Amino acid sequence: MSTNDTAAPILSARGLHHSFGQTEALRGIDLDVHAGEVLAVMGPSGSGKSTLLHCLAGVLVPDGGSVTYRPAGRSAVETSALGEPERARLRLSDFGFVFQFGQLLPELTAADNVSIPLLLAGTRRPEALRRSRDLLERLGLDGLGAKLPGELSGGQAQRVAVARALVTSPAVLFADEPTGSLDSLASENVLTLMLELVREAGTTVVMITHDARTAAYADREVIVRDGAIGAGYRVSA
Amino acid sequence: MNPGLFRLAVVGSRSAYGRLAGIAGGVAVGVCLVLLLWGGANGLSARDDRGAWLRETGRPAVAVPAVSGDPSASGPATPVPMTAGTVLMRTNPVEIFRDQLINRRDFAALSPSTVKIPGIPAPPEPGHYYASPALQRLIESTPRDQLGDRFGQFAGTIDDSALPGPDSLVVITGATEAELRLSGRASLVSDFTTNPYGGSAAAYNTVLLIGAAAVFFPVLLLISIVTGLGAAQRRERFATLRLIGASPQTVSSIAAVETAVPSLIGAVFGVVLAAALRPAAAQIPVNGTRVFEADLATGPVAASAVVAIVVLASALVAGYRTSRAGIGPLGVTRAVHEKTPTMWRAVPLMAGLAAMITAVVIIRVLEVHLPWLESPLLIGGFVLILAGIVVIGPWLTQLVSRTGLRRARSAAAVIAASRIHKTPVATFRSVSGLVIAVFVVSVFAGASSVIQTTEAPAARPGLLQPTSLHATVGTGHTPARVLEAAHRANELPGIRSATIGYGPAALHERDAGPEIFLRAADAPALGFENIPESETVAVDASLLHFWTTQPLALSPAPARALEGLVPVVMVLGTDGTPEAMDRARTAMNSSGVTAIPATSPMDNKLQSSTRLIQGLAVLAYLGMFLAVAIAGLSLAVATASAVLDRKRVLGLMRLMGMPVSVLRRIITREAAVPLLTVLFLSVGLGFLVAWLMVTGIDDSYRVAWPTPDYFIALGLSLLLALAAVTATFGLIRGNTAMAATRFE
Repeated sequence: MSTNDTAAPILSARGLHHSFGQTEALRGIDLDVHAGEVLAVMGPSGSGKSTLLHCLAGVLVPDGGSVTYRPAGRSAVETSALGEPERARLRLSDFGFVFQFGQLLPELTAADNVSIPLLLAGTRRPEALRRSRDLLERLGLDGLGAKLPGELSGGQAQRVAVARALVTSPAVLFADEPTGSLDSLASENVLTLMLELVREAGTTVVMITHDARTAAYADREVIVRDGAIGAGYRVSA
Repeated sequence: MNPGLFRLAVVGSRSAYGRLAGIAGGVAVGVCLVLLLWGGANGLSARDDRGAWLRETGRPAVAVPAVSGDPSASGPATPVPMTAGTVLMRTNPVEIFRDQLINRRDFAALSPSTVKIPGIPAPPEPGHYYASPALQRLIESTPRDQLGDRFGQFAGTIDDSALPGPDSLVVITGATEAELRLSGRASLVSDFTTNPYGGSAAAYNTVLLIGAAAVFFPVLLLISIVTGLGAAQRRERFATLRLIGASPQTVSSIAAVETAVPSLIGAVFGVVLAAALRPAAAQIPVNGTRVFEADLATGPVAASAVVAIVVLASALVAGYRTSRAGIGPLGVTRAVHEKTPTMWRAVPLMAGLAAMITAVVIIRVLEVHLPWLESPLLIGGFVLILAGIVVIGPWLTQLVSRTGLRRARSAAAVIAASRIHKTPVATFRSVSGLVIAVFVVSVFAGASSVIQTTEAPAARPGLLQPTSLHATVGTGHTPARVLEAAHRANELPGIRSATIGYGPAALHERDAGPEIFLRAADAPALGFENIPESETVAVDASLLHFWTTQPLALSPAPARALEGLVPVVMVLGTDGTPEAMDRARTAMNSSGVTAIPATSPMDNKLQSSTRLIQGLAVLAYLGMFLAVAIAGLSLAVATASAVLDRKRVLGLMRLMGMPVSVLRRIITREAAVPLLTVLFLSVGLGFLVAWLMVTGIDDSYRVAWPTPDYFIALGLSLLLALAAVTATFGLIRGNTAMAATRFE
């Protein structure tokens, strides 16, 4: 386990255990994620890294152990003790998500896709669309707000997904293989833009990846193997 | 096809088994309903065939010679003698017990007679009767003075072969030749008709075919929707097959077989289910009587044909859809965009309306008799309108969703409106069954409303009272005998008055006068108030007609007016209880002096509907029930399919924090918008089509405003839609969980 010694962890996992039937996916993981850091979680397929991300994000409730979230200016909350409605509210208000592919609603325009989290949070639609278009512009997608996902390239669609994840200014961004379905050029483009925005906003990032080049963009990386954290080292200061 | 490849395509996951079970179950329900419906049509047809002999009217029992030189005049009527090859029959227009019509036929025959009266071994002796089992049960469970005394002594039961259904109330009574001839309503019969519809056969068949089309359509929609269940999941699976080397033709074949197998299982199960449900279906009374269970059987040929057609059609459609989906090794290679619906989609609907309007114009305006053109125009027009609603629906839905999307404020509204706007055909398909059901219900409600225009008459002075019964008196009965019968009746419980009306001759005779004379003292018992100061009064004979709705006035008659007149009508006033009414009927009908069975002004309500309209009502009940039930099922399946096909993306939305309640609102909106968009069109078109249909068949009928029952049916349809959508809410939670977001 590796921790940042100077900043208070925004997410802490202690003794995480989780099983799917007979398969033990997590075997007592301890992990701290510090505010503002970009953490890469690496590991082979089936090692439990997606399960770890889902437990940290409050998507899954671990069978054992706890996850504590410490938002700035608010009291800490043990997410693993919350019910699904409370965790859903937390995911909507404090967390953002980017996945490998297929996460955009195919019938909605890019701008509408990005505006959905804002609408869910109660923002009026004209305002939500304005903010969505602004963010799309910052991600190099100006003029593409009216396009459907099927009309965009893979890289463009992934940047729309990033915009949707960041439009509510989340405290933590969870990214599960965010560039896994892209070629290296598009991958670099998406990562550069995403990290530029998150560093500017001070957003914490937990990013799962197989790719060492992608992991190189992170401040720190941990390796998950057989449901446990194997090794960790800081890749940049 | 490689069995291993096929196995890979068809099985392998719980969701695949669930989808296959869904297809099999839906097809089973569809095939079961088709066979029950087919059996129902058989049953109604068989019922009509069995009862056809009751339509026999015979030929005149008297000969009226023409007077030479004056074609408008005729000589005195002479009886046509009965022979061994003929029987004398009296058709009683109304024999009523409580609110049930009894088919009564009185026969007089020579002994021996060669005439075979359907359902009985030989013509009954005078004073004896044969009854249907249902009527005999009724007679045995009712005091004789209310029913049994009308018919005489029981001789046996009528065989089922001559009865429309197990609940049919039919009686065949024996009478003397003189008795029947005196009634003036006898005719000679040598054999009995086998044509159940008489002159209205073409119109009846038109109505039957329109009804069948209306009910079959939702069934076909159900089968179509069910076989498309989980199409997106299948596309993923087929993409994998393409990746490992299967050709597009192989994939299409697998899709066809994959659908054909559960369809075959479902269809066979549907046949078994239909056979199992047949006894229950036979218990449903249609038009007052059930159908014999054997009449509901469709036979192995029809069942095999239905199975073969359903399986073949579903396999072909599945194969065709897959070949058009453009599934490549990396998934769906080209986005399957729906074509934007245009206003051309209004053409089939307009063509259907034009066809029906043309039929009405030919029949009613041009008054040209072209039966070879009228029925095809009416039936074809109806089918075109049915199809036209389904075709125009997506266009209207898209128009509405475009506005909805502009005005959408919430996430649910934006997501639902966007999906409807981009896929109007798919979203409308899910509610098309219900839209068609509402149309069918509206057509039948409109068409049935002509029955309900006849209202029970109110008690008013100057008209026969609703609680009274009257019967005309036969020829040749002395005043003393009729008076004695009236006095006897007057002594029965519940009978308040017995009045005799007089005239120059029995009312069915040529010499019958236009007025009926009675003692002024008896007039209050008939409900008259302003009674002239005279011992004898007269009233127009139309007093006895059920269509007389304007009160008639009494006029004074000469004091000795009754001298030389004969009794022509007996009127019994009752306390209005069913027992007293039936006691009065029985007293009059068994008195031996009346020419026709006793009738009440209330009876008109029971008999005003013609056979054709009654047939229409039968279809209305069947149509309403089946169409609404099937449509609810279709909507539930389509909604479930919409959830299953988007489970990954909806799961990701949930994972990002979208509450399940928002997903529920999305699904509800996706059903509500297309439904409500076309609902009002369906209602309006339904009544328009009902009017065209009824006017095209007979312009003496009028479509009225629907009764509250219709609005209840409409409300129930909407509730059913809500229930169908609500039923899928559990599916939303289960199928959008984290596991749904994984793609291996």
